[in-house]
Amino acid sequence: MKISILSTGTRARRTPAVVALGAVLALTATACGDDGSGAGGGKGAEGSGTGKITFWDNNGGIRTAVWKEIIADFEKANPDIDVEYVGIAATEYQSKVDTAIQGGGLPDVGGVTASMLAGFSAQGALEPLDGRLTESSLNGKLNKDMVESVKAAGGGDGTLYSVPSSANNGVLYYRTDLFEKAGLDEPTTWDAFYAAADKLTDKGKNAFGYTIRGGSGSIAQAFDAMYGQSGITSFWDAEKKTTVNDPENVEALEKYAALYKRVTPAADVNNDFAKMTAQWDTGTIGMVNHNLGSYTDHVKALGTGKFRGIPQPVGPSGKRVQVSNPVDGLGLFKSSKNKEAAWKFIEFATSTEQNSRFNESAGQVPSNTEAADDAWIQKAEPTKLAAQALNDGSTTIVQLPYYLPDWNTLSKSESEPAFQKVLLGETSAKDFLDDLAEKLNAAQAEWTEQMG
Amino acid sequence: MITKEAPAAAPAPAPADPAPPRRPKKRPAWDEVPRWQIYLPLGVYLVFTLVPFYWILLFALRPAGSASLVPWPMTFDHFEKVWNDRAFGTFFQNSVLVGVATLLMTTLVALAGGYALARFDFKVKRVFMLALLCSQFVPGALLLVPLFEIFAELQMINSLGSVIIAETVFQLPLSIILISNFIKNVPYSLEEAAWVDGCGRFRAFRVVVLPLLRPGLIAVGSFAFVHSWNHFLFALMFLNNQSKQTIPVGLNSLMSADSVDLGALAAGGIVAAVPVVIVFAFIQKWLITGFSAGAVKG
Repeated sequence: MKISILSTGTRARRTPAVVALGAVLALTATACGDDGSGAGGGKGAEGSGTGKITFWDNNGGIRTAVWKEIIADFEKANPDIDVEYVGIAATEYQSKVDTAIQGGGLPDVGGVTASMLAGFSAQGALEPLDGRLTESSLNGKLNKDMVESVKAAGGGDGTLYSVPSSANNGVLYYRTDLFEKAGLDEPTTWDAFYAAADKLTDKGKNAFGYTIRGGSGSIAQAFDAMYGQSGITSFWDAEKKTTVNDPENVEALEKYAALYKRVTPAADVNNDFAKMTAQWDTGTIGMVNHNLGSYTDHVKALGTGKFRGIPQPVGPSGKRVQVSNPVDGLGLFKSSKNKEAAWKFIEFATSTEQNSRFNESAGQVPSNTEAADDAWIQKAEPTKLAAQALNDGSTTIVQLPYYLPDWNTLSKSESEPAFQKVLLGETSAKDFLDDLAEKLNAAQAEWTEQMG
Repeated sequence: MITKEAPAAAPAPAPADPAPPRRPKKRPAWDEVPRWQIYLPLGVYLVFTLVPFYWILLFALRPAGSASLVPWPMTFDHFEKVWNDRAFGTFFQNSVLVGVATLLMTTLVALAGGYALARFDFKVKRVFMLALLCSQFVPGALLLVPLFEIFAELQMINSLGSVIIAETVFQLPLSIILISNFIKNVPYSLEEAAWVDGCGRFRAFRVVVLPLLRPGLIAVGSFAFVHSWNHFLFALMFLNNQSKQTIPVGLNSLMSADSVDLGALAAGGIVAAVPVVIVFAFIQKWLITGFSAGAVKG
């Protein structure tokens, strides 16, 4: 049998070589990386206060533009320091930092919300900042409650591991046009809230009074409704047992969960914040609970004339009780080899002008007390009302135990599916809260033992 | 049917005729089936499949804040925003580079490995095949920290090379198994004949075997491309600088902790999906051939 040679000659001989060369060149062209230095356990160094630092934004994407402006101003004011900005999506930030703590590659500065502080500080990744803050021009200018909140969240030893930059707050957004049409008053009390939710619901016309968060992130919102109605002002009682399964909280959760399907779309059982706010922005739904962060999305979708964002309703006692929202801040990673320059950046970013700029863009409450008086706050109504509610003594904040290393697991992966069962009627509110209380009490006892 | 005659002395009532054997129902010929029985289920299936795509198009093409069910008035603002303001142009280039490089490297190495498995017998061949199969059960997330440490040692963090190598390595086991099956389908005698005609092993492989592997190469290459195009984890972990990031990471960054621009997200989703759709549109003929050729190894 004669085999004809299909392709011979120089061209055929060259083909594999060209392909191989192309692959090598592609790798060579892309292999201008770095060594990912900065392991979690490294002690780092003060450095010269000049050179390059890296900043990881824990809410990259949406906030990238404002951070780049802040960085440009910082580099103008400090021409001998370069800041490399890395925007990381909020959902992936913790896993990226955890990987870098284990494998190296931590930045010099990183955004750290209160809910992450305990985990990062327990791994020894963050530099204590009390001393630097005392000697800084920022000393005395930061909101004391926010400073205390991040200190409490940092693992319980009272050390400051992040400089607070902004606070978020729970907001009840309601459609003013639908309320006016139905002849309803502003839902400033929980009774008014429930009455409005019922009155605005007309399932035949696909109109609903409320959209509930049944999916990711549902627990903090359910806690807000529970403690808001019960008026219980502390997460722990005198014996250091949690109050989540207090009979008044159980009753409040039963009432809140009963809203599902009665005045909400059935699909709400899977609502995360994106689905929840999207359907509120595009549908005929009277109210939604979310935080200040979605205000700009609502403005884009509805304009400013069709809705308002007000603080959470007050309970029967006439007092507003809310659970804490994680305070956002900037942390200095212990492994940084240029801590002096990194601290300069943290100071600059939380200075009056820059903190105001950032929070105006984010629609959140500034940590810098001088920034909190700026004119833009008066124009952004939900932020103004939230700032008032947080500062005028009308609101009691129930501090959630972010310091517990198990908090994120308990409040998310373990509780969210269980809360869905409550909404679907497969579990009672009491059983759900009793089970959660047992785990929380065990986690608290373990933590107390570890802390001595 | 055979029936037994009853004896005359003891006549017995004739047994009732047993029921005739059931004839299988005649299946209607394909062209005898009423059209609605074909098109109705297909139509329902299509609705379920296409509505989500329509929804993405709707959000991408209608203005922000619109609740219209048709994308009219139509706007390309969201595309402009993601391409220019959110750096999707850069992400796109990076994804193309990662996808093409992964495709080339996976195909080349899988060809070599697949040939060895198909044509040579060696002691640990079965163990090696088993190891390749078992490696499919190891999730990428489990290897993140060791991979991170290796790339850090090699000074390849924040380099597209790290993602290309990691993607290639994770694609290889399945690709090698697939290619080796394709090579086994090519009669060995063809190669032997080429050797008789004076070809060396490599030349015989290149001129005789390789052209017959086109469906397999397309199947393996397209899988490698599409997988690396869509893969998120390695790009997220190994790349920091925005100028190095890929489309899945860029898409993820369109959602913040408590705010989401659905128009931009939908436009970004279309930018991410279009190349994959185009790739499949061009290669589907060879891809299907490739699947069936690999499935009936004899």
